[in-house]
Amino acid sequence: MRRLGIALALALSVTASACVQTRQYADVQFTPPRGDYRLLVMRPDVTVNSLTTGGMSQPRADWTEQARTNLINALRTEQAGRGGKVLVLARRNELPGVSADEIAELERLHYAVGQSIALHKYSGAALPTKRGKGLEYTLGESAVSLGRRTGYDYALFLYAEDNIASTGRTALQVLGVAGCFIGFCAPSGGSNQFAYASLVDLRTGEVVWFNVLQTGSQLPGVKFGDIRTPQGANQMVERLLERMKPGREVRQAQAAQGKEIR
Amino acid sequence: MCVRCEISRRSLLIGGGAAAASLTTGVAEARVRPQDMVSLIGPGYRPTDTDEKGLWQLMDRAEEEIAGSNLLIKDPGLVSYLQDIIGRVGGPAAKDMRIYLAHVPDFNAMMFPSGFAVVFTGLLLRMRNEAQFAGVIAHEGAHFLRRHMIRSWRDMKRKSDLFAIGALAAGIGGAGAGVYLGDYVQLAQLATILSLFKDSREMEAEADAMGAKLIAEAGYPPMEMSTVWQQLIGELNASARYRRKRRERGSLFDTHPSPEARMADLKLDAQEMTVPGRIYDDRRARYLKMIGPIRPMLLEDQVKLNDPGGSQYLLNTLALDGWNGLLRYYEGEVWRLRNRAGDDARAAQSYAVAVAYPDAPPEAWRWHGLSLMKEGRSVEGKSALSRYLQLKPTAPDAPFIRQMIG
Repeated sequence: MRRLGIALALALSVTASACVQTRQYADVQFTPPRGDYRLLVMRPDVTVNSLTTGGMSQPRADWTEQARTNLINALRTEQAGRGGKVLVLARRNELPGVSADEIAELERLHYAVGQSIALHKYSGAALPTKRGKGLEYTLGESAVSLGRRTGYDYALFLYAEDNIASTGRTALQVLGVAGCFIGFCAPSGGSNQFAYASLVDLRTGEVVWFNVLQTGSQLPGVKFGDIRTPQGANQMVERLLERMKPGREVRQAQAAQGKEIR
Repeated sequence: MCVRCEISRRSLLIGGGAAAASLTTGVAEARVRPQDMVSLIGPGYRPTDTDEKGLWQLMDRAEEEIAGSNLLIKDPGLVSYLQDIIGRVGGPAAKDMRIYLAHVPDFNAMMFPSGFAVVFTGLLLRMRNEAQFAGVIAHEGAHFLRRHMIRSWRDMKRKSDLFAIGALAAGIGGAGAGVYLGDYVQLAQLATILSLFKDSREMEAEADAMGAKLIAEAGYPPMEMSTVWQQLIGELNASARYRRKRRERGSLFDTHPSPEARMADLKLDAQEMTVPGRIYDDRRARYLKMIGPIRPMLLEDQVKLNDPGGSQYLLNTLALDGWNGLLRYYEGEVWRLRNRAGDDARAAQSYAVAVAYPDAPPEAWRWHGLSLMKEGRSVEGKSALSRYLQLKPTAPDAPFIRQMIG
């Protein structure tokens, strides 16, 4: 009886660890773009892996291509809903008057800034000087110069990774959870996703909004929208971008206004 | 049924230790024979299997980043020279492989699964002739020709799968029978990891053997590959000795065989591959001519690594082919930067010798002049300094030197 109790408790905690998580940060002055704006989507960095029985991520070229196409389509639909004009870069040399090297430099700079945001906003290494200041990061003059020359208002950087459990991995998960009933629980991770989106205001060069999406479960067979399918890609884009919240000062101002009207 | 159903930790450790020891000492890794090494791919190879396609797609992205890196040296003459060498020793994939030269002052070169190689500038500095350089390139090319990366990927996948299944089976089986098998699981994990490292060393041995075969066929003396390792061992020892440390010894976790083993095996490979009566050419003159324009930079990088033992050994090794003004100048720099008692006199001597060669760099005259001034020989010192200004009128410190000369 006691053993069954433990098994149930563990099974419950396992269920609890199956989740979809997003956490967004914004510049205190940030207002989500609406209406007539021009958005430049930098080449989306997409990887779809097959998760082997032993837990290695094996990249899949065909799945990756499929997922990239789906995500780009989903992004176009989502942005059209907001009223923006969108250009999704497929290659680095697509913008007239902007060299591929310049785009590459900006991508690398953003990668470094993104790492810093991940470290100080998401990994717990919070900086005391940045407390309560929302998102305070910038790509500087290079981003402003790109915006001035191309006429785009925003640039969006997108990273998406989907690890899809192979049959072997799913079987291992099933056995791991089944083991709980004889007192040996070995839950192992199955399909999971990791994605982030980062919005840069090309008029100021600042990173104005950043969102991270994580999904994963230790229960076999749980899926969170497979980005190889259009539905799954829509779901990911919606989770990442749809609920874009304004910055703190803008929210406070809105709240104050709401009170006045009442 | 069991009287004491626990596994004694001691017996386990003894067993594990014995198993581990047999991996290093008991079973010597057999030498791979060069003649057995045939290419596993043909010209214009493209992956067809799913896993390899995925790996290549990842590598294409990596290559795009590397090709755009600002660490690369893009001098067209030099790059086409390196590409030409990979074309000579690249076997069937000679036309498919790409090579990038990265400005990193270390001895290294690496091959990526999709057939591009990155070579560090520190390697160019250490090679005494084209044959030595071609040997390293042929070794890297052999990794691609023998499909080592996808093979090791599959090996790792297979073993991690087996381990995951085994560990789970042990856990569930153990729980069912009421025995704790965790210690065995850990031992199995160690064995899995060790076997991966051992496979990696075997592949390195294959690449060495095939490299020897490829350069011999291209007309380079195959013994030069063994000489490369001899030089590296000497440098590592000299560097460690200076720091009063011992060079790192081999362990079970090495991805490569020890330099000594590679040197010995390569010597045997070279003997097997040398065809009596055939003329081999190390093409030293051509190599030195091609790297000539960047050689001062390579030496400058090296002496600034703060590794006087290694730098000094390296200069002496390069000077086995004859001293010149450039090498003598940097010998002086090693002493000057080391700055122990008496090093200023040693440096002064090197600068003095350097300026006697026609190829002495302008900076050799500068430091020769300054050393003379320091010794109180100001007339000679000033004349050396004016020679420096003559050779490099736009030097950043020219106004300062001009004022010193008065």
